[in-house]
Amino acid sequence: MTGVEAFLTDFLKLTFLSMVPFILAGQGTMLGGRTGVFNVAQEGIMLTGASVGFLVGYLSKSVFLGALSAMLVGGVFGLILAYFTTTLKMDQFVVGLALFFTGLGLSSLLPKLALGVTLTPPLIQTLPDIAIPLLSKIPFIGPILFKQNILVYVSVLLSILLWYILFRTNLGLRLRSVGENPKAADSLGINVNRYRYLTSIIGGMLIGLAGAYLPMVYTGTFTDLMVKGRGWLAIALTFFGGWSPLPILFGSLFFAGVEVLSFQMQVGGSVIPYQFLIMLPYIATIIVMIFTFGKAKVPAFLGQNYDRERRTL
Amino acid sequence: MEQSAILQMQGVNKTFDRVVALSNVDFELKHNEILGLLGGNGAGKTTLMNILFGLYKMDTGKILLNDQPVTILSPRDALKKGIGMVHQHFLQINNYTVLENIVLGSKVSRPFTANYQAEETVIKKLCAQFGLEIDLSARIETLPMGTRQKVEILKALYRGVKVLILDEPTTNLIPQEVDSLFQTLKVMVQQGLSIVFITHKLREVLTVCDRISVLREGKNVISLSRKDASDDMLVRAMVGEGMDLNKSVIFAQDKSRDSKAENKTILRLSGINRINAEKVQVLTNIDFAINSGEIFGVAGVAGNGQRELAEVVMAIQPSNSGTITLEDEDITGMDTKKRIAHGFVYIPEDRLSDGFLNKVSVAHNLILGYHHLEPYSKNGIINWKNVKDSSKKMISEYSIKTTGPDEVGGNLSGGNIQRVMIARAFSQPSKLMLAHNPTRGLDIPSMDFVYKKLFEHAAAGMASLVISEDLDELLLICDRIAVMYRGKIVGILPREKFEKYEIGRLMSGYEQSSGENGKRD
Amino acid sequence: MTQIKKFLPYFLAIVAAFVAAGIFIAALKFNPIKAYETILFTSFRTPNGFIQTLMKWVPLTLVALAFTVPLSSGKFNIGAEGQMIVGAIGAAAVGITCADLPPVILIPLVILAGMLAGALWGLIAAWLLYQFNINEILTTVLLNFVSFALIDYVATGPWRDPAAGHPTTIAIGENGFLPMLIKQPPLHIGVILALVAAILIYLYTNKTTAGYELVVTGANPRASKVHGINIRQMFLFSMIIGASLAGLAGAIEVSGTHHRLIEGLHSNFPTLGLIIGLIARGKNQAVPFVAFFIAVLEVGASAMQRTLQIPVQVVLIMEALILIFILLSDLIRRRQK
Repeated sequence: MTGVEAFLTDFLKLTFLSMVPFILAGQGTMLGGRTGVFNVAQEGIMLTGASVGFLVGYLSKSVFLGALSAMLVGGVFGLILAYFTTTLKMDQFVVGLALFFTGLGLSSLLPKLALGVTLTPPLIQTLPDIAIPLLSKIPFIGPILFKQNILVYVSVLLSILLWYILFRTNLGLRLRSVGENPKAADSLGINVNRYRYLTSIIGGMLIGLAGAYLPMVYTGTFTDLMVKGRGWLAIALTFFGGWSPLPILFGSLFFAGVEVLSFQMQVGGSVIPYQFLIMLPYIATIIVMIFTFGKAKVPAFLGQNYDRERRTL
Repeated sequence: MEQSAILQMQGVNKTFDRVVALSNVDFELKHNEILGLLGGNGAGKTTLMNILFGLYKMDTGKILLNDQPVTILSPRDALKKGIGMVHQHFLQINNYTVLENIVLGSKVSRPFTANYQAEETVIKKLCAQFGLEIDLSARIETLPMGTRQKVEILKALYRGVKVLILDEPTTNLIPQEVDSLFQTLKVMVQQGLSIVFITHKLREVLTVCDRISVLREGKNVISLSRKDASDDMLVRAMVGEGMDLNKSVIFAQDKSRDSKAENKTILRLSGINRINAEKVQVLTNIDFAINSGEIFGVAGVAGNGQRELAEVVMAIQPSNSGTITLEDEDITGMDTKKRIAHGFVYIPEDRLSDGFLNKVSVAHNLILGYHHLEPYSKNGIINWKNVKDSSKKMISEYSIKTTGPDEVGGNLSGGNIQRVMIARAFSQPSKLMLAHNPTRGLDIPSMDFVYKKLFEHAAAGMASLVISEDLDELLLICDRIAVMYRGKIVGILPREKFEKYEIGRLMSGYEQSSGENGKRD
Repeated sequence: MTQIKKFLPYFLAIVAAFVAAGIFIAALKFNPIKAYETILFTSFRTPNGFIQTLMKWVPLTLVALAFTVPLSSGKFNIGAEGQMIVGAIGAAAVGITCADLPPVILIPLVILAGMLAGALWGLIAAWLLYQFNINEILTTVLLNFVSFALIDYVATGPWRDPAAGHPTTIAIGENGFLPMLIKQPPLHIGVILALVAAILIYLYTNKTTAGYELVVTGANPRASKVHGINIRQMFLFSMIIGASLAGLAGAIEVSGTHHRLIEGLHSNFPTLGLIIGLIARGKNQAVPFVAFFIAVLEVGASAMQRTLQIPVQVVLIMEALILIFILLSDLIRRRQK
């Protein structure tokens, strides 16, 4: 293999690996948004998911349990978000920010409580690659697409499943209507609150898992603030993907690609000071938003709470 | 013939925050009748029916369906019991098709694929049965109002309702569509339904309803059959003793108008075009002039460019070409702030969302738009004393019920919020008053008040541009009416030539006729 | 009596948060009473404690205002972190390169450079909002991350202090140090600057026409636009004003507290600033008072970690709980009406 081929293979393999947190957090945000709940706590949920996922994985020696508990924690955050916004009807941004702070504090506190201060960072086993028989032998694309850890496959299948549910089933028809016009949905007997709770909780679970992916696959350990803004990037990704599962899947590739590129340039040695390479994903996201924000198709009632008894003149 | 009651509501009470909406109200709907529920805005009609439909919960009261007491806690319950409602603002998902809107929320034969063919067949049968013609695969947002309303009705029929409530159904219809709707209602009654027709328009109840119940200020006033009803009786019932009917504009016997229009042109639009952000041409070649002392009306079905016209006149949206002059001065490039300072007053259509500030004080609300002018501001500093003094004057002159200029706007009741905005609009010296659906949501005495103020305004030599989707309103108060259709002015009629059906034809895009009645559905 | 009634919910919220935190502390096998004592009273036990509190109060107030001023117009500036960092960079840049100017010129220059740098950083997000209608929560947060990389570059670049173990620049010229009000323990005039800023903001929003337009824009942007107010300009101005306040906080930290640019000098001030702004319900005039209370808690938190080994994050969670309880009590009050 030539140098370019090697670079490309590495780059693509890493990109597919790195798109998972984006996919999971993006779809989690999208689900809630489709019923009108605009979650802005992703960064905090991902941090807590990473922290809890790592701790449980470390203490129980089971990565699977770690992932499960990260999802549980994420689901709890989603539940709290739903309760405060859907039932108590508080401002969604404010509640989201409050949850973000809580997640920030919790994620940093828990390891200190559970493990104290350690000289060497405690490690967990990272997820192994699973090679799909036959397909992984295809030259070039084989190792890239079909020799990845299980969550890569899961997140792609999940995206397709979400697309099907949202756009090809009756459940999806109802779910989307809640975000497009909750009063209309309500008047037809659709339980607006139930759908909002459901998507918030499931969305939170996905976001929690997205956070846990980082220690589970990247570093094997938890460090403060390790999410590095991916939670916020997920929001931009969701807008970029028009709040639809398949564009979000493809958009994740782009976001992951920029992240991997920046990383590879730092590692590979480049004239550009590495700090500017670190800035790359964030600046790229801003540029992407310039082109997509005006035209983004957004659920009509995104960010707005629904109160059946509210009178309008 | 003594009919039995299909539906009864007894002793209904409902209070919102501190406002009593319904006080010990009784209601009865007989089998196979069209019952008119009549009253001004704020009388409680919609609230009562929203309770029946499960959108609101009553504080106390009983509901009886076929003499059995029932509990209705949500629209789902209401639909299960065979009660359906068509709201004034259609509850539709804009980017879904007609078919999707109709089956939404109901049980479908194939929930795991998007195949609604079985349902489509059933709905087509219903259309035939009730004489409705609708393209089921069209997206709702592409359809005209009259058709969208038929979809709302179809939604209810599909769910097998026996009782159908229609809330102010003629608001967005041209006269021909109103006739068509009344036909449909008669067919529905023949097919076994019972109908409640909520309205504030006398003419309508006397045309299509079998019986009439009147509500005023949340209380029952009278219920009687159409045969026994007269104009006078119903008017009195709707407005009570508080209003001097002799001085009323709405109920005046003589509806003629002494036009005070002079020859001086105040506002002129020439060749105004506007292409919006989605690249759609929303205004084409708008040309008209309004003279001093004139009340100039713009009629049209909602969505034909009225909002764009209002916003271009107020510079909220820019025009792409053409000129606007105020007393011969070209103001095409002038921004909203300067236009207000030059004497433009705007009463927007969505008064709550476009005209009121819930989170700040009443005083803040009363000076909105004028805050940068004297005596409120000088050299960039606000003179709060002047603001408060002026506010106190407006509060008393317009009977705004509030604890004072410092009260938070959101504490005011709906009616008082409207009064704040009317006070703000009419307290400023103005050359051109632009009012869009000015009386929507107002109770009858307030509607009358606004009309009187408009007449005063005209008598003092000022010009008014009244855009309204209520044709009756325009016929009542205007000197001339322009009709808008798809962003164009398709005709301007002087008062002598006002004729409802003719205007209706123009509103639906037909040419000015020589006298034939057109049907369009 | 009504004054007390107004503050009662806030008081109860604080008590509730303390109780919740106390339960948590006890569960961790620490002594909650001792913890409370340390948290609340460290600031008042010694002059040093009080001065430390004031030194925290300065950046907290400014960064909280950096959030509440744009909030008055309805916009969420989550970028005070980046704006403070870039402000610090700007102040240090001037302080180092112009070190020879006399203090009477250098000090104002350093401060202004900080405010300007912060304002420019905020302008990026504000302009993206103005021109492309991009949600400012996203852009300000992304720019925060960019600023982390930027300060790392500056603090490890040509101005780097080789003797320091942590990325830090060399000191700014002595002529650029903020004058001290008290020498020992050190209290610089940043206190006065912050106080003046708070007062000016109050006068602006409550007494000027431009302030009126800002407030109504936040109350109902659509209605404001319809009545002639240029709301997009309002968003822009409020973001720039907020950003310059955050830049001022950065400049004060460089010129008054550290006398050099240290990576991480923004500490947890911006996060706390957001919490303060939310607890103050967006009211600019309440910010200095809430900021003082939080400053007390923060000083107490470090003391608590030092002397009782209870992790400081407990206090952060307590502060988040205070916010949550206050939001809840707001809700309950609304329901009772």
